[in-house]
Amino acid sequence: MISDSTYQNTPVVRIKGLDKSFGEKHVLKNFNMELRDGENVVVLGKSGSGKSVLIKCIIGLLRPDQGSIEVLGEEVTKLHHVQLDKMRMQVGFLFQSNALYDSMTVRENLEFSLRRHSDKKTIESMDALVMEALTNVGLAETVDLMPSELSGGMQKRIALARTLILKPRIILYDEPTTGLDPITGKEIANLMMDIQKKYKTSSIIISHDMNSVKRTANRIILLIDGACYATGTYEELSQSSDSIIQQFFD
Amino acid sequence: MKRYTLKTFLIEIGSITYFTGKFFREVFKPRYEFSELIRQCFYIGNKTLPLVAVTGLIMGLVITIQSHPSLKAFGAESWLPSVVSVSLVREIIPVIIALICAGKIGSSISAELGSMKVTEQIDAMEVSGTNPFKYLVVTRVVATMLMLPLLVILSDTIALYGAYLGINMKQEVSFQLYTNQIFQKLTFGDIIPSIIKSFFFGFGIGIIGCFKGYTTKNGTQGVGEAANSAVVAATFVVFIIDLLAAQISDIFQMT
Repeated sequence: MISDSTYQNTPVVRIKGLDKSFGEKHVLKNFNMELRDGENVVVLGKSGSGKSVLIKCIIGLLRPDQGSIEVLGEEVTKLHHVQLDKMRMQVGFLFQSNALYDSMTVRENLEFSLRRHSDKKTIESMDALVMEALTNVGLAETVDLMPSELSGGMQKRIALARTLILKPRIILYDEPTTGLDPITGKEIANLMMDIQKKYKTSSIIISHDMNSVKRTANRIILLIDGACYATGTYEELSQSSDSIIQQFFD
Repeated sequence: MKRYTLKTFLIEIGSITYFTGKFFREVFKPRYEFSELIRQCFYIGNKTLPLVAVTGLIMGLVITIQSHPSLKAFGAESWLPSVVSVSLVREIIPVIIALICAGKIGSSISAELGSMKVTEQIDAMEVSGTNPFKYLVVTRVVATMLMLPLLVILSDTIALYGAYLGINMKQEVSFQLYTNQIFQKLTFGDIIPSIIKSFFFGFGIGIIGCFKGYTTKNGTQGVGEAANSAVVAATFVVFIIDLLAAQISDIFQMT
């Protein structure tokens, strides 16, 4: 665990009164949260409680019905698509399914966003940047392989490398250890922590995996039925006498 | 399987219209994805080429062999090259090639985009600051529009050669005489409308394939359904465009 003193008090993400419905289903109800600079916040909740919807609203993939989402001082709901793209350069997103482009090699996957958003100088040094990102996740030798030739854990690392290549200030992780064996899950959790230390990122992590939660969370937000039910550190919540909170720690 | 009612049909028509409108908004706006467009042109052209070539040859042969007895009965055997060439170039080849492409290209585009949709690759493209509509949809639709007329021209040429082989199976005609007879009857008024309508066939096939793939739902089952319905809808659209093209040619006295 990282101590509270390692992160600053400046909020990099601030969400107020967030509401999101799909037809009759009210997924997020008046949700509020803050992510401070250098902090790792884990959003914990049952399946279908609105966790993935929350981070998709933060990155602008979904439009909230109500409420405000401020990312690095910019109101996401009011950004024009050009400004939104600029904001997204500073926010990495690790998909639950990894979402690697399966018609491209690992190198092309990593180069994809670099080619589109970097200046000429960066493009000239692209090879070095790709190798640096792959070395960070310990998979430099896979550079010319296709995603289908990699194991689930390796794909997750490559997806993380793709997220890192633009050196984002915030990373949103959508269930980063789901579907992995406990050892690989632990390796991914450790990798997330190494990345946070090296790149000084702030993260919102959606997770069910309590081992990974314990390892990565500075603070936990418990999302029940689309609303924030409880918040606190792992120790605080694990010692709670509330039966709903205890379900997650038993 | 999705149950089709009048309401869902109308919603689908509305969604396709909106999708097509978005295509026209995006196609002229920079940034232009030239390298992806060229890759798609190569993919669509190259992958369909053998099928289109063989189909052209067979159609040329078959139409000639089938038409021969009827024309012979009227003593109009010498009209065979001109009759066959006009029917092949004006109608048969453009429609047959468009139907083949509706099956091959339409299903392949919708399956590819559908699987990208369900595995969140389209979302990943969006969060990496790339406009997925421009990168995936605009390039594929434009590539289909550009490639289909070229495939039709190629297939026309091979079909006319097939017709020459068909004629020579029954009687001996020199290649020079055959081409002279063809070009006495075949005019730009036959060729140009067929190329223009191929361009619109390409647009219809590309838009339907992309729409079905881009709006895929329900996981891998949805990918199969999208590919299937893309072929059905694109085939239908080809016939509608053909009907409109015939009417427009008639209005402009091109028949």
